[in-house]
Amino acid sequence: MAKLLPENITKQVKEIFSNMEGSVKALLFKSEKNCDYCSTAEQMLQELSELEAKISYEVHELDSEMADKYSVELAPSIVLLTPEGEDKGVRFLGIPAGHEFGSLLQDIVSFSKGAIPELSEESIKKIEKINSPVDIKVFVTTTCPYCPKAVLTAHNIAMVNKNVMAYMVEANEFQDLSKKYGVSSVPQIVINDKVTFVGAYPEGQFVDQVMKAV
Amino acid sequence: MSFFELGSAKKSDLKEYYDVTIIGGGPGGITAGIYAVQAGLNPIIVEKALDGGQMNNTQSVENWTGFTSIRGMELSERMADHARAFDVPFTYAEVVDVETNGLEKAVVLDNGKKIKSRVIIVATGSNLRKLGVKGEEEFKGRGISYCATCDGHFFSDKHIAVIGGGNSALDESLCLSKMVSKITVIQNLPKLTADKLLQRKLNDTGKVEYIYNSVVDSVEGDSQVRKVNIRNVDSGEITSLPVDGIFVFIGLIPNSQFLKGKVELNEFGYVKTNDFMETSKKAVYAIGDVREKEVRQIVTAAADGAIAVYHAARNYFND
Repeated sequence: MAKLLPENITKQVKEIFSNMEGSVKALLFKSEKNCDYCSTAEQMLQELSELEAKISYEVHELDSEMADKYSVELAPSIVLLTPEGEDKGVRFLGIPAGHEFGSLLQDIVSFSKGAIPELSEESIKKIEKINSPVDIKVFVTTTCPYCPKAVLTAHNIAMVNKNVMAYMVEANEFQDLSKKYGVSSVPQIVINDKVTFVGAYPEGQFVDQVMKAV
Repeated sequence: MSFFELGSAKKSDLKEYYDVTIIGGGPGGITAGIYAVQAGLNPIIVEKALDGGQMNNTQSVENWTGFTSIRGMELSERMADHARAFDVPFTYAEVVDVETNGLEKAVVLDNGKKIKSRVIIVATGSNLRKLGVKGEEEFKGRGISYCATCDGHFFSDKHIAVIGGGNSALDESLCLSKMVSKITVIQNLPKLTADKLLQRKLNDTGKVEYIYNSVVDSVEGDSQVRKVNIRNVDSGEITSLPVDGIFVFIGLIPNSQFLKGKVELNEFGYVKTNDFMETSKKAVYAIGDVREKEVRQIVTAAADGAIAVYHAARNYFND
């Protein structure tokens, strides 16, 4: 099979992975039906794991106990686990390709260090106080240069507090979901189906929006 | 699945102090970074989204010497790789404040971190201007867009309006023409101001029609944009055009909000500098599109970067 990642990219990816500390496991959830990108997602994870021994992945069916355990309902979904096997609520729905490839790489490096959130103290203090479930969906397209900022902010927020789940949602792969939320510009962020905004807000404003939805 | 962009994953570990903090990773900022290293200084580039900045939104660049035609994204990557080859570090965050008083300057990032430096070079470029009409805020994200590559997919086989008739409007229209069924370009002047070559390319798509001497009066719809109301600037007459989406490219505004009260800006928000790119504050420079100047091009931004670093190196690091 032809490689997904070109050589000039793998060279740079290796360099980025040289910053990893512990091992990171990715759980890929796929389904036989209606999943155009499941096999591509698997190939991507396989190629990444070949580049760096600290990366491994497991493949699970959407219809499985593991999917229930990690509350995964759509395929392909990727869940990252820390070296201690901890789930931090960080999710990718759809392939993190294009500009989102960088988001995946950064999350992997961050997870290898225990998923310590890279946010300001002020933001962390606010997010720590959340004591009810928060669901952040960041709708993206892989051709959107402003989207990784929103995805990474959301993922870092999830790393702070167990109550927060943060999803990157590739809008073209999940058109029903995009339609449901009326997505026509990305990044579009939907928090608890209550607060919606469009654009890559600076961290402080993003956190304020999350707090509004709590 | 054709491309994989590493983007901000290429960030460097952040140190507390650098000789020169360059805010903005477009052609001006990147060039300044390269010249700084060559002058024996330690620079850092702070970029909020993507190496190359607005260049990424250009389908093809045909006036950067040495390349008859190169995609904006590719030129961005080549420039950033050039800087990295010279060990210019990049970090990715939005600058929310600058401290420009005193010998030691600082920039404050939205992630709470602070970078101290002797010199600051502002290379923040510009952002798209909004329409400022009724319905714009309401329908932002519901049919009004400012980024063709980001949002074009949502308008496959639909009829859209593009507002503006300059280079960026027609360049983005060309990108959109691959997805949408029909484009109506609405221009406030009696003719387009975009380059003739670009006009010809767009006309060749056969999907475009033009409405001249007209501006947007308001936008209407329900859950999504349904129509744009257009006012003729001569007669004042308002007509409605049913569309599924509106893409706005009516010029730029400088990204200088965070500099208000810190350095001198002109009435439009552009940063005033002297011939050496130095602002009203010593050791604070402004280069590229954010600066008050006549010609805003990749090549002039790059030139500004070189001039600023030369001056800074001689005046603030000559011991």
